[in-house]
Order: sequence, then C-alpha cells, then structure tokens
Amino acid sequence: MRHPEGLAQPQQPPDPTPESAPAQSTAGNLPVPLIVAGLVLSLLVGELGYSLLGNDTWLRHPGFTAWQTVVVAITVQALPFLLFGTLISGAVNAFVPAELFTRVLPRNPALAVPVASAAGAVLPGCECASVPVAGSLIRRGVTPAAAFAFLLSAPAINPIVLASTAVAFPGSPEMVAARLAASLATSAVMGWLWMRFGREDWLRMPARHSGHQPGRSRLNEFRLGFQHDFLHAGGFLVLGAMAAAAFNVTVPRSVLDMFASSPWMSVLFLAALAVVLAVCSEADAFVAASLTGFSPTARLAFMVVGPMVDLKLIALQVGTFGRAFALRFSAATAVTAVTCSVVVGWWLL
Amino acid sequence: MKPVLQPMLLLLTGAAILRVSLFSDICLRYVKEGLQPFLIASGFVLVCFGLVGALGTSGELRHGLRFIMRRESTSSAPAGTAPAHDGHDHADVPGIAWLLAAPALVLLMFAPPALGSYTAARDSPKVVEVYDHFKRLPAQGPVPLSLTEFTARVQQDRAKSLGGRTVVLSGFVTPGKNGTWDLTRLLVACCAADSQSLTVTMHGVPAPPPDTWVKVTGTWHPSGALGTASAALALDVRSLERIPQPLSPYKDRPPSA
Repeated sequence: MRHPEGLAQPQQPPDPTPESAPAQSTAGNLPVPLIVAGLVLSLLVGELGYSLLGNDTWLRHPGFTAWQTVVVAITVQALPFLLFGTLISGAVNAFVPAELFTRVLPRNPALAVPVASAAGAVLPGCECASVPVAGSLIRRGVTPAAAFAFLLSAPAINPIVLASTAVAFPGSPEMVAARLAASLATSAVMGWLWMRFGREDWLRMPARHSGHQPGRSRLNEFRLGFQHDFLHAGGFLVLGAMAAAAFNVTVPRSVLDMFASSPWMSVLFLAALAVVLAVCSEADAFVAASLTGFSPTARLAFMVVGPMVDLKLIALQVGTFGRAFALRFSAATAVTAVTCSVVVGWWLL
Repeated sequence: MKPVLQPMLLLLTGAAILRVSLFSDICLRYVKEGLQPFLIASGFVLVCFGLVGALGTSGELRHGLRFIMRRESTSSAPAGTAPAHDGHDHADVPGIAWLLAAPALVLLMFAPPALGSYTAARDSPKVVEVYDHFKRLPAQGPVPLSLTEFTARVQQDRAKSLGGRTVVLSGFVTPGKNGTWDLTRLLVACCAADSQSLTVTMHGVPAPPPDTWVKVTGTWHPSGALGTASAALALDVRSLERIPQPLSPYKDRPPSA
C-alpha cells in the first residue's frame, strides 16, 4: 500500500478529500460554506478564468479540463442510480411497515447477515444506489450488521454487474464465479465483524426519519425525505467525484507496469487503484480486463474492492452514516476484501 | 441550507440534466448512450420534485420566512425548543449539498468538452477482443473501418485481408514521440472515468493540431508480420480530411464514406 500512495501523492493537485473532515466535524461553523464555495468555484473557474485572463493560463491546461470533464462524468453517471436509490429509500421510509423486515429476515442476526448478503442480488444498480437504501433499512429497524452486508454485496453481485463481468472476460466463467464468491464472502464477514466489534455510537445517522408519523401526509413525508436524502448524498457524491477525478487524471497508467511483476504488491496495488479510481461497478470489469499485465488474483481484488470501497463511496458513507463509521468501516472492508480475493483467487483462478 | 432553497437546488440539477440529455446530446461526452433515457427520466423526476417543493414552500413562504428569521434570532437556544409545528423537520441539509450546484452550473453554462489527446496519451490501451472470424471485405475500393476492427485485422487476421488494401479510418489527433502522431479513439464502458484508448500511428503526413478530428485514407504501414501480434498498428497516409467531432465521441464507428 505504501508504494502506490507514495507515487500518487506528489502528483495530485490540492486534494479535496481531507476537507470532508472539517465539513463533518464543524458542521454549522464558518469553514463549511467557505470550503463548499471554494470547491464549487474550482469547477467553474476554468471558464471564468478563460474569459477574464485569456488563453494563457493553467486554467486551460488540458489536465485541468480533463479533471472537469471526469468530475462531471462521474456525477452524471451516478446521478440516475443515486436518484433510484434515494427514491427506494424514501419509499421504504414512508410506505413499508417496519414489521415487514423483522418478519422476512431470520431473527438470529448471525443468520440474517448471509441472507442479506444474498439479497443484494436483487438491487440492480451500482454502488451509489445501495448506500441510501442501506441507510433506510437501518432506520426501519433492520439490524445494522445485515444492512451493511446488503450495502456491500448489492453493487457487486447483482445480475447486471455479473453479466458485464462475463462480457469483459470472455471464455473465463471462473472469473465471474470468483467475483461472486469473494464479494459474498467479504460482505458476510463484514456483517459478522460488525456484530462482534461494531459500536452503535460510531453511527451518526439523522434521527428524524422515523417512518410514517400519524397525522401527516405520507406523500409529503416521502417528498421531504427524498429531498433531504438526495441533496445530502448528492453533495457528498460530488466531493467524492472531485477526489477520484484528481487521481484519475494525474496518475499515468504507465506506473501500473512497475507493480505488475510482484504477485503480492500487484494485489495491493490494484486494490488501492480501485479505491482511488472509483470506477462504477458496472464498468470495472472492463477496466480490470484491460490490466493485462497483472495476475488474475490481482484483477479479482480490483473488482471486489472497487464496488465496496472507493473515494466516492467513502464520501457517500460519511454523509449517510457519519465520519467515525465510514473511515473505520471502509478500512476494515478493504482489508477483508483483499483477503477474500486472495483466498478465492488461490482457490478458483 | 434554508428549506426554501432546497427545491431550487433540485430544480437546478434537474434542469442541467435535461439540458444535456433531452435538449441536446451533450451527455454523450460523459456517458454511454444507454444511460440517456435514464438521465431524461431523472431530470423529469428532479424537476417535478423541485416544482412541487417550490409550490409547497411558496404557499408557506411567509410563514416559513417568519419562522427562519425567528429561529436565526434564537439560534443559541437549546435544540429542545425547536417548535414541533415546523413542517420542515427535514430542513437540516448541511451546506455540503451546495456542491451539487457545481456540476449543475457547469452543465448549464459551458459543459466541458469530451476527453481528448491529453487523456489518450496517458490512458491504458484498450485490449481488442479476439475475433472468431472476419467478414469478407468488399471486393474493391477503400474500406471504412473502425479502429477496433482495423486493430483486429492487422494483428489477428491470418488471411491478411488488409494486405494491399486501402482503408479509411477516423479519430482524433494525439501527438506521439519523435515527431510522429497517432490517430486515436477513446472508448468507455460506463462513463468517461473508465476510458481506454485505441491508437494507430500515422506516417507520411505532418501532424494536424492535437484533438482535431480527422478522416484518413491509406494503407497498412508494413512493419512486422501482418496478421500476427508483431504487426505494427500503423498506416501510410495518402490523404487526410478534417471532420467535425462525432455526436458520440466514445463510440468507435467506421467513418462514413
């Protein structure tokens, strides 16, 4: 892990990620509006600077323009999925009775975790949809361990993602099987780890969403819940997109070749690459397929880590569950996902 | 973020999405065509929620404004005194939501261009799939080919179908090393963040400015054994013509004749 980060850092432009920290801890104080205004301006500044200063500034540097394009691309790509996830989450909040989940899921949480992992197969979408849905499940009384297992497995094992993996790796169905197995294992292990070590006070979820209140219009509750969740998650999505795009544009793909030869370093390196590139889970198989210099296990790690931990997701989780949770959970998930990939890769690939 | 402003931000985002997906094809600079219907639907949903919210709040606007001012003047009061009659208990959207305004304004105001030569020079090359068989080329005349098919025929076709044939390719210009230049396409699987490049080195004509879209006619540049992996992806250019950027810049189509 040390090497790729050491390589990536000197080249990256001012990285917006650390600023999510003050944004969370000092919410309501002065810095947040300033930081947000600064970041908003950073995206707009190219065109403004062009009209003010003429053609000769770094603002027209092709790298900066590429950064703007990638920020917009990640946001536009994720938006329909985020919207879909927020609508489902809003509907769950306003219309689905809490008893439904307690009736459907096994009462024993240790059993509920693998059931929730497998249930991830039914949410067709990428990772941006699953964060708000998992949040609403917890608010509706689903045990957090099961909701987190669902959160991790849904973007990795749904039919669309598995189909695109099969297309990207023609003639090697074992890659699809390995991805399914490693992702299911990681999500279930993380659910059980949460049951054993997780602490509820890491979760800082907005408490207002407590389902339907008697005497209020369900539709209005649905609209207000949607509005809140979408705007909140959307802001964090853009923050994550800015960070991911910074890496995407500045890390030249030629550094990849330096790590391809060592089997251990290559697994860790591709796992780290999955975190910083934040490629959508429906597309990451195609990126993995292009990394031809790397071992199948390293490419598997890229596809298992990517949908569960990346900059855009960490930002979304900070927004939905709070910073204390998101950082611990993402770190643990990354370690678990790499371990599961190595074991499954050794077994199947 | 003030409750009255939240529907406005939804409206702004929805309008930006509709501008690039319904009223133009700008979104194809960022994502694949398959997403376009979903973008249009998302834009409508956002605009609807924004309008309903704005109408709802405008009805309550006077009440709401009075409430905001009262709350601000008593913002140091303990949270428990927050009045229960406030219809906007979802109001505490943190300021970070304003970040959503950045891409929305960018899309409404200028919409950044599709990725070009800067990215192509640093991207990983796209691995062209293995072709089972190649269709017969038309018996005579120049053959328009996508860069994908050109690459596959040069490096995989044992029958050497391109031997002695004139082909027509299109793409944008990426400056290469030692004064050469490449004809390039960027291909995306999902969005521009996962772009991969296809390149063919051009011989025989001076390089046009970077990022110009061109259509070139020429023959395979003989270097290595045609039909094997050793064959160079290169073209001896006979003629070159500037073309406008295609509507879907990431879709590798053969040029129109």
